[in-house]
Amino acid sequence: MTAAGPRPAAAGTGAAGPDDDRWPDPARRRSTAAGTVASLARVEAGLLTRSVVVLAGLVAGGAMVYHFAIAPTRPAWWAATWQIGYGQQILALAVLVAAQLAAGRARRDKLSELYRSFPATARTRVAAQLLGLAGALPASLVLVGGAAIGLELSGVLGRPGYAAPAAGVLLVIAAGAIGIAVGTRFAHPLAGVLAAVALLVPFSQSNRFTDPFIWLFPWVAPDQLGWVPGQLAGYPPAAAHAVMLAAAAGLAGLVALALTAGRRRFRLGLAVAAAAALAVAGVAGAVQLRPIPAADLARLAAEVADPASVQHCTTTGPVRYCLYPAFRAELPALQAPVRGVLARLPQPPARLLTIRQAAQVDFTDPVLTHGHPAALRARWAREVARAPGSASSSSAIYLIAGRWPASGAGAARFSLALAAAEWAVGLPPTAGAVYGDGRAQCVPLNQAREAVAIWLAIRATGAPASELAPAGPGRQSAVYVGGTPVVIWNYPGEGASYLTSLGPQPTQAGYLLAEAMTQLPARRVSRVLDGAWSTWLNDRTSQARLAAALGIPLPRVPALPGEAGPPPGANPVPSSPVCGP
Amino acid sequence: MPLRRLPALARHVSRTMPWGPLLAGCLAGLVLLAVLAYVADHSRTPLSLAQVRVTFLPALAGLAFVARAPVRPLALAAPAPAWVTPAGQLLLAITVLAVTVAAQLGLVAHTSPPGHALPAIYPLLAQLTGWAALVAAAAAICDRGRYADLGGAVAGPAGLVVIGAGWFTPRVSALLVAPPATDLGATVAWYVITAAALAVTASAQRDPWHRYRLGRRCQRRARGQRRPGPPAPEVS
Repeated sequence: MTAAGPRPAAAGTGAAGPDDDRWPDPARRRSTAAGTVASLARVEAGLLTRSVVVLAGLVAGGAMVYHFAIAPTRPAWWAATWQIGYGQQILALAVLVAAQLAAGRARRDKLSELYRSFPATARTRVAAQLLGLAGALPASLVLVGGAAIGLELSGVLGRPGYAAPAAGVLLVIAAGAIGIAVGTRFAHPLAGVLAAVALLVPFSQSNRFTDPFIWLFPWVAPDQLGWVPGQLAGYPPAAAHAVMLAAAAGLAGLVALALTAGRRRFRLGLAVAAAAALAVAGVAGAVQLRPIPAADLARLAAEVADPASVQHCTTTGPVRYCLYPAFRAELPALQAPVRGVLARLPQPPARLLTIRQAAQVDFTDPVLTHGHPAALRARWAREVARAPGSASSSSAIYLIAGRWPASGAGAARFSLALAAAEWAVGLPPTAGAVYGDGRAQCVPLNQAREAVAIWLAIRATGAPASELAPAGPGRQSAVYVGGTPVVIWNYPGEGASYLTSLGPQPTQAGYLLAEAMTQLPARRVSRVLDGAWSTWLNDRTSQARLAAALGIPLPRVPALPGEAGPPPGANPVPSSPVCGP
Repeated sequence: MPLRRLPALARHVSRTMPWGPLLAGCLAGLVLLAVLAYVADHSRTPLSLAQVRVTFLPALAGLAFVARAPVRPLALAAPAPAWVTPAGQLLLAITVLAVTVAAQLGLVAHTSPPGHALPAIYPLLAQLTGWAALVAAAAAICDRGRYADLGGAVAGPAGLVVIGAGWFTPRVSALLVAPPATDLGATVAWYVITAAALAVTASAQRDPWHRYRLGRRCQRRARGQRRPGPPAPEVS
């Protein structure tokens, strides 16, 4: 059975309790009571360590850490140390439930009378259960250690901090103490489950609230944690949060003891201690709500607005890679797809391609900039609005810092390879369009160079046809060019925010021709392209001409269901421009 | 069963209903949603249906304590089928849960800014119904298992884990969560799950035995070792 089980924990130790009159000598009585508490605590800790509920919480917490900190993007320590706490939060819920079940065991099993007949008093048992929370430490530390190993294997960026992991461990202990306090008062198992849900709700909803008071929640998931391009002191305020959680754990433990305290003097002592814990929690809360220093935010705004001032650049052939200092380890992963495109070009373009990281930090977020004058916040917001990445460029690709996946992300590699291939064939890789504003994207309508660019990206990344397949009939999307609908192709990674701005809008016709080209021997396609490279780069060279040169029929694009256009009287559909020379 | 016995049955069902856990769960969810509404108002972030989902979890935890028959061996000896009482209690619980959801939706609508339309609620209702059916099934299964004494303390977290797994598993969530699933598709999927979960619940409720071991091998072994008991006394 688990810590929640009906078996009484070391009920018959035979040791005397602190209130036992058999030991008139106070010193001896105290030492005996301490021995009883220690032996009971060992038993409780053992039960908690192997509790099925706690072990399930450990597994669920590990899955949570993998889901949020390891799997989605290449992890960075300054965010990951806090994100490990998401797993600790799940473990904390399990420890809370297990601790409540353990604390309410006697009353739930209707064995209060029997327990009263034991030498150890209720206060002794509660004290032992509080000390027995040490049994939750192995699971918590295993979670931290396992997460650290997983992060290192994923090539985590930066250097770890220690305050956030410590705060995570304290969160687990605090939840256990709350569980004991709840279980001491309410023996029904639902009380523990409800307390766990009450702890879960603020965490799960914290990212919805843009107010600094969210730091006072037991744990939160701040929105911009993964977007800052490096360590930002005080975001999150991990050290102060650890102190607050320690105070909360102490307070919950004192409440649990107070519920079983009999003597007035002892209660008075508990009240004094509780007041001290409250004071510590209040001070720690106030420290958490202090604004981040203006100098740090100004430096961050400058790094976002003018990344060139802090980034390290590496030039390889006709491509220059500029990355924030903390992200230098990502360079090989970025070079691989671009190198694949360059290797298939008959001749590299004359102009240099710059692949630069851009950070997307929202300075209007009060959680980040609270406590500063509105004028200063507005100035920072204006400054970062001028950051590169939102303007059209024919020779620059802007990657969003913190969005590149750890490994095996074909979509990210394809996005970058396609942007590099667009640069190579003379299409603008950065159209200056934000997501959802397709009007700013030009459409390479019936241009051979579009198919060439897509073919280059497919060859460079080896993307399987199953990942690239266009939408079937009835599910296609279209843009309008001169009032005529054009079926578009949504490529892998198009909607995944790897780049600050998209390039031209690929068409399904271009993709189908490129896909047909991949069916031909690569040498044959290269020979055709090498023979008239400048012709294929011309925006007036049609896809039919390229297909004829390759000796294949031009693939047919499935017709749109309502190709007659919008119904009469409907709002005019905005038209996209055709990509020029 | 004659209709004239229904009032007596209703009285029995309502008296033996575990109102405490169910109402505590529902009220806890409402209080949490009220707190979130206050916080949302303070930070000018309107509530959405996501908060209804999250704050419905305490009510589900309370529901986990309902599908339970504490004196089942005695109930088996009674003239009425043993499953009647838990089934009646589940029906009562569904009514309470429906009122809770209505109150939650009213709270969300009340805190929405003017002109801010909430999305369609029929997929949400299907999802919450499916969640409740899953938790009821988990509770009914636990009541037949070795953790029957802990009842909802095991069934509640087990049901919530199933719900969480469905929410976070990519391929499953693609079918059950809109978007990416369509509203209609998610609704149909949740009602299919509800039907399956109710079938499991009904099957567990009609099972007269506690299953302390799992697996056919254990059950076969148990059947093989069973000795014929003394003949049942004739009742005149």
